[in-house]
Order: sequence, then C-alpha cells, then structure tokens
Amino acid sequence: MDHSTKLQKTSGYSGLKRGPLGQPRRLEQGFRLRVRELRAYLLLAPAAAIFTVFMFYPLAYTVYLSFFDWNMTRPVKKFVGLANYISIFTDQSFGKIMGNTLLYIVLLLVMNFVAPYIFSFVLSFVVKKGKSFFKSAIFLPSVISLVVGTMIFVWLLNPLSGPAASLAKALGLSVPIWSNTQGLVIVVISVITSWKIFGYNFIVVLAGVSSVPLEVVEAARVDKIPTWRIFWNIVVPMSSSTGIYVLILSIVTGMQQVFTPINMVTRGGPDNASTNLVYAVYDQAFGFFKTGTASAYAILIMILFAFLLFLEFKYVEKGVYYEN
Amino acid sequence: MKTKHRPATSRQFGWYIPLILLAAAAIVPIVFALLYSFKPLQSIFGNSNLLTSGFTLENYRKIAQQLPILQITLNTVAVAVLVTVFKLLTSILAAYAFAFMRFRGKTVLYFVMISTIFIPFTVTMIPNYITISKLSLFDNIVGIALPQLADASGIFLLRQTMRSIPKSLLEIAEMDNIGRMRSLRDIILPICRPSIVATGIIFFINSWNEYVWPTLILRKKEHYTLSLAMQLFSSSEAGTEFTSIMAMAVISMLIPVVLYLIFQRYIMSTFASSGIKG
Amino acid sequence: MVDKYTIKFDHVEKSYQNNTVIPDLNLTIPAGERLILLGPSGCGKSTTLRMIAGLEEVTGGELRIGGRRVNEIPSGERNIAMVFQNYALYPHMSVEENIVYALRVHKMNREEMQRRLETALEILNLKPYVKRKPRELSGGQRQRVALARALVKQSPYLLLDEPLSNLDAQLRGQARKELVKIHELYHQTFIYVTHDQVEAMTVGQRIALINQGDLQMVDTPYRIYNRPANVFTARFIGSPATNILDAQWDGRALYILGQKTSLPDCWSRLIARNGEEAVYLGIRPEHIRLQAGVCENALCGQIRYIEDYGSKRGVYVAVGDTEVVCICDCPPCGAGETVSFYLDSDHIHLFSRSTEKSLGYPEEVSDDQVLQPLILERHDSVPA
Repeated sequence: MDHSTKLQKTSGYSGLKRGPLGQPRRLEQGFRLRVRELRAYLLLAPAAAIFTVFMFYPLAYTVYLSFFDWNMTRPVKKFVGLANYISIFTDQSFGKIMGNTLLYIVLLLVMNFVAPYIFSFVLSFVVKKGKSFFKSAIFLPSVISLVVGTMIFVWLLNPLSGPAASLAKALGLSVPIWSNTQGLVIVVISVITSWKIFGYNFIVVLAGVSSVPLEVVEAARVDKIPTWRIFWNIVVPMSSSTGIYVLILSIVTGMQQVFTPINMVTRGGPDNASTNLVYAVYDQAFGFFKTGTASAYAILIMILFAFLLFLEFKYVEKGVYYEN
Repeated sequence: MKTKHRPATSRQFGWYIPLILLAAAAIVPIVFALLYSFKPLQSIFGNSNLLTSGFTLENYRKIAQQLPILQITLNTVAVAVLVTVFKLLTSILAAYAFAFMRFRGKTVLYFVMISTIFIPFTVTMIPNYITISKLSLFDNIVGIALPQLADASGIFLLRQTMRSIPKSLLEIAEMDNIGRMRSLRDIILPICRPSIVATGIIFFINSWNEYVWPTLILRKKEHYTLSLAMQLFSSSEAGTEFTSIMAMAVISMLIPVVLYLIFQRYIMSTFASSGIKG
Repeated sequence: MVDKYTIKFDHVEKSYQNNTVIPDLNLTIPAGERLILLGPSGCGKSTTLRMIAGLEEVTGGELRIGGRRVNEIPSGERNIAMVFQNYALYPHMSVEENIVYALRVHKMNREEMQRRLETALEILNLKPYVKRKPRELSGGQRQRVALARALVKQSPYLLLDEPLSNLDAQLRGQARKELVKIHELYHQTFIYVTHDQVEAMTVGQRIALINQGDLQMVDTPYRIYNRPANVFTARFIGSPATNILDAQWDGRALYILGQKTSLPDCWSRLIARNGEEAVYLGIRPEHIRLQAGVCENALCGQIRYIEDYGSKRGVYVAVGDTEVVCICDCPPCGAGETVSFYLDSDHIHLFSRSTEKSLGYPEEVSDDQVLQPLILERHDSVPA
C-alpha cells in the first residue's frame, strides 16, 4: 500500500521533469510559503496589536466622537452631526487659535529647520576644529525633559529675580513680563521648545549634509564659488531628502512638544494668546470636558498631519536624492 | 602662499562665534540650574552673585521633606524599564520581519506602521484615556506604559540597521543549516548591538521624560513620575523658590544626562541614520 | 556515468517574475573538477552558482547534485561550502569563532572540530591571527579565513563567487596559486565564478563561458583560447580582443575587408562546406605581422595610434572603416603611415556570419600540431 503510493508519487515527479512546474510541487511550495508568511505575521503581531489598540482604534474613535456631544462620564452620547465642527469654526477664538498655530509653525520651522541646516553646513564644510564638541553640546538638551527645560527657562527669564533680569538691570534694561505679552509669549514658548528639539534635528540634518561628498564642495571652492552659493546651490539640493524629512519632523514634533510649556506656564493665556490647536484639544477635553469639540479640534490636526504624511511619502520615502 | 591662507582662516574664525553662542545656549541653562540648586534661596534675590553666595544642600533637603522623592524616582525607573524592554522587543521582532522576511502586504504594512509617527498624541489621547479607565489602570504604571509598548521609529531604526547587514552573512548561515532564530540570536542581534543599545537608551530617556500622558493617568503623589512631580512641585509646594525648583530639575535630568554622556557615540550615530533613507 | 558527486543542470531555467535570466542551461560538472564560470557582469554566472548553493530557486528544469534532484532541497541540507565575494565573515566573531561557528552549532565533537580547525589554520597560514576580529585583518587574510571556514565543512563541493576580486593585483596572483594548491589537496568540486579571464585561465581545468544566460562554450583554457566555438568566445578571451573581420567567399578566393586574399586549401574547403558567402575571420592581435609601406600580396591600412605596453606595443590600424589591432615588439613605422600586414594562417578562426559559430578547423591545423607559418597573400587582380 505504502509502496504503491510512493511509486505513483515518483512517477508523478518524473513526468513533470521538463514541463512547467507540476501540481504536487506547487502545493508543497505554497504550503512552505504560507508557513513562512505566518511566521512573519507572528513577529509583527505584538507591534501591530499595540498600534491597533492604542493608535488606529483611537484615531477612528476620535473621528466618531467628533460627531457627538459627550462629556466622557455621561452614559449616553448625543449625535450632533457636524455641530462640533460648526461650533469651533464659529467660535470667536478660532481665528486666534489658527493664527497662533501658524505662528508657532513658522517660528518652529525657522528655529528647528532653517537654523540647523545652516549650522550643519557650517560644521560640515566651513569650520575644521572642535566638531565633536559642538555636536555633543548642541545635542545635550535633547535628552532633557521639556518640563525641566521649561522650569529652567521660566526662572532664567523671570522678570523679577531671574539671571536675565539681573543682566538686563546691569545694562539699564528690563525683562518684559513675557508670559503676559501677546505675541512675545509665543516667541518665548517656541524658544523653550526649540531648546529641546534643536539638537535632534541638527544631528539628523548634519548626517544628511555631511553625506554630500567633500570633493563636490572642494571642486566648487576651486572654482571660487561663494560659500552661500555652495550652500544653496549644492548642499541643499544634494541633501534634500533628509531636509524634507526634518522639515516635516520639526512641524510634527514641534507642534506636540510645544504643549508642555503652554500647559506649564500660560495654560493658553493670556486670553488665548498662546493657545494652539494641540492645546485646544487638551483644554476642551480635560478643562471643559467637551469631548466632541476636543475631537473635532483633534481631527483638524490630523488633517494637517495627514497632509504632511502625504508629503513625506511623496518626497522622502520615494527618495528625492540626486545621488542614485 | 601665506597671504592667500590668511583670509580663509579668519573667515573660518568668524563662523565660530555663532557656533559658540549656539553651544552656550544649549549648555548654559543646564549649568545655571546645577549651580543654583546648591545656592541658598536668598542668593537669587539679593545683590550677591554666584561666587559669594555660598554652598548649601538645603534645596535638596526641602525636596526630600516635601515629596516621596525616592519612591517617585523608582516609579520613573520602573515605567522607563518596562517601556524600554517591551518597545525593544516589539521593535526587534517587527524590524526582523520587515528586513529579512518575504510576505504578502509587506510594503503596505510597513508604511501603515511607520505612519503612526504622524498620528499626533492629541488625536489618540481621549480614546486611550477611556480605554485605560475601562481597564481600571488609572494611577498604575502599567497604565502609563501600555499605550507606548510599540514604537514606529524603533522599528524604522532597527530595520535600517538590519538591512545594512550584508545579505551574504545570512546566506552563509543558511547554507550551513543554521536556523532563523539561531541566526537572529548569534549573528543579527550581536551585529546590531550598537543600534539596539542606542535605541534602547533613547526609549528609556523618552519614557523618563514623558509628561502629558502621566498627567492624565496618575493621581496619588506616591505614584508620580519625576516630570509630573517636578511640575506640581514647582507650581504649588515651592512656588517661587527657584533654587529648590532647580534642585528638582537636577534630580530629574541626572539620569538622562549621565546615560547620554556614556552612550553619546552610539546615540548620535543611530539618530544620524534616522534621516537618511534607504 | 552517474558519479556520486556529479552536478548536472538539465534544461535549467531561471527567471524573476517575467525577466528570464537563464533560459536553458545544460551543463555537467564531474566530481573533483575545477570549473570556472566566466562571463561579463550580469551574464548569469553568479545566479548559476547561487542555484547550486540553493540561494536562488530553480524556476524550471532540473538541477541534480550527486544524482539527486535538489530543486526543492533547502540550501542548508545540500552540504555545500561557499566563499563569497565580500567573504561574509561574521564581524563580531574572531577568526577562530568564524571558522568553527557552524560546526559548533551542529554540535560536532570537540576533538574533530579542533583537528579540522588546526588543519585549516595550518594550510592557510592563519595561526597568528586566530584571536583577531575580521576588521583587524587585511583583505588577503580575510579571504583566507573565508576559505578556511569553507574547508572545515569538508563538503565535496566548494563554490567560490569572485573570491579574489577584492584583492589587489599582486595578492591575487598568490591567492590563485593557493587555491589551486588547496584543490589538489582535497579534490573537492571547485566551481569558481569570475569575470577575470586571467584568473579563469590560470585556475580552471575547464571554463564555462556564459553570455546573457547562454552557455557559449565549455572547454579547457587551451581550447577556449585556441579553438573558440563562436565569435563571442573569440572576442571575450584575450586582450586586446580578437579582431573579427568581415570576409566574403566567392567560391575561389576570400575577400577580407574587401581585399582579395588567397587562403590555404584546407581553409577554403571549410568555407566551401559551410556554403555561406559571408563569413567572419578572427585573428588575434599577436598573430599579425606588420611591415612598413604597401607590400605586394598583403592587406594594408593606416596606423591610427600606438599603445605602449612596455614589453610590446599595440598598433591600431585602420583598414577602411574597420580597426585592426596588432601586437608587435616594435612597430615598423609611426602613426599616420601606411603598413601592410600578414595574418598567420595557422591561427585564423572562421565563423559563420549568420550563426556566429565556428566553422571548425581543418585537420591539417590540428590542436597540438606545430605548423609552419603560412602567409595570406593579397591579390591585386580582380576576380573573374
């Protein structure tokens, strides 16, 4: 019995010797492939589970909540359609919040994208000594909690007793009460946030910029091209992939990090002068317990970030390199 | 020859000024915090300066009196260790699958996972708060750790490192009939060790510094983590006692800074590779 | 003959999705042979090697190793040793650990492992470096460690994928000899991939020349050089490349580049047998003799430029639109001047124009026979 099946199998194989792939092999291969795939999915499962439960499900649930009126404790949610969105668009502070958000983005971009780019060019191609010292020093604040950073700056810039005030007094000046000054409050909060995130962005841009071959820069020097042109016409285009990544990153992380100083110092004040979209979500949810409004604000952020994600895929993941 | 050289060097020196200012902006606040944490409170009000105002441990003593600081530090360590270990585990497994295995939907799954970097915290905050309350994990370190046990940037960084391992190394292992899990243990992990260490340190530090989520989850003082304790201490207990606040700042940043100084080289090179796609 | 260790490709096909790399490969490699897979880059020689190793799937036909179909046998169960181009040493393991790692995983007994290690270290002169990590070794040492790791496996097959291409020229010569020495010690089947013809000639007992996935010729280095089976083989082997000249046969005389020449009878018969009017005539640069000026009974052209190789010189001569390369000790005249040249008729090769295959060689011009040099004569008279 055993013998005969075996024989059949052998003849089956030999009959397929020169033809296209035979049926029995296909099956066997398919099976092995499936086992291998199964193992891959098994390895992905833990990460996928966490992402699903704490990232994708909440994302969907936030979208859902944005159509309801709810306070997180009431047992029934009331469906209100687009009312939450309408209420935030018609809220008198909405314009201010969006304006502030835009101002934060611009400031964060200048401080955490433009500045690191220029400095990493200087460090890569202009100066020769002390590179590793500068790198270490500039990166150091990145490992420190923004809560700590904020407290230090609150004191350093304290208008009455901070070191900045003493210095200003010696020069016959005074430090304004920045946390109460429209406009200035956003600048200071952006500076505090940048103190923390500058170093990380700097190191990433630096890696991109220093991957530009030295010979290319030297060739330009031999041709007496001015330094700023070497930066703008050679280094920026050749490191554009990293550049766009950091550009997007400085918005994404900057927008979220800026929450900490706002919450610690101003709580969005004075009179919403320092509120942005991120803080608005928190404020609506845990200040006023208006889950629906908070969710609607959150969706606005998500739309902004989805746009950035799209840019990332379009320009970064596909590669903007001129190399390769 | 010499005259030609001089302008180049002086131009180079000109560039050092902004660099030095930048480095100072990064370091000076930390140095100030460290110095003033050992100064008596009145030193910041009077006209006395840094040199004349003496040295005291009073600020640290005050913190120890008002907060269960040891317990808080231990809580922070516990959360950070929990998060780091699990994040590394989930990241290594996923990175391995993405780097070395063939399966259907690989590209899509990869991009879906990586895109979680772009999901802002505020968007997931409310549902996660509800989930954690349903699991009755309020005021519990598991509640803080749970939502962050997987990390897209970790998957990205480790996959990047794994992909840089020459394929032939794994092929020779395959020809020598060395099983996949064995080659992961004996070959891939040891080669990736610098990246794994760096990624782990980064996870640890980030968790250490975590602020928003613990604020939402933790209630009792003895369950606090350092960032949270720091904020509450500075806004209530100490008020404007800046020297005590600086002492608290020093306690909070001590471990991250020390870790950074030890593993600097690993951390920098791993971070640097995160922006270069390939 | 079904030898226990013969490797046999039987109509093997390899394709990736709809891109066919190897359409139909038939090749038998007897046990203990040093076979070279030679060809330009991207020709499929590495793919062929990797199919034997089991690192690439065979998509059609059958691959047999020692009489057993291995298409479905995973790489690890084939018992084949390999040396990679980049050596594939484990960077975190010392030389010793690299060599014995696989043996240790498979729990080989201590004494046997030690014995194999010692022998390999001995043969390859690696004793002083056992404790070093790969990054502390030179290129040549790394290559020897990779070889040692392959040897301790004591597999009947050793695959080498461009093992010397990362070494500098001087080391390469030495390493070549070492490889041959090792083969003579163990007599495994050596399958050696290279794109370097000098390496192929010096290491190989047989060379399989591949182009675009097709086997062009499989034979000894001597025959590959002297009896190329087709135009590609003639062109690929030798440097500078064999001149392939257009020629026409009118039934009585051969017109090379439009100039009439008379061919020894034995060659004429070959062409006549072929039946085609148009043929290619191949002649190696070193088989052309130059003479200054226009000579009676010889092809002539103008010197374009001269390359100096030190011991010899390469002379590039324009004959109409065609460039003919000759190698000589001393060119008879300078660039721009007219030269005549004589083709050594013992060393010409004739190929069909349509198939590019060799028309064969007359019996009079046999492989190992030393023949008198004959000179192709050029006739000025127009054929009737």
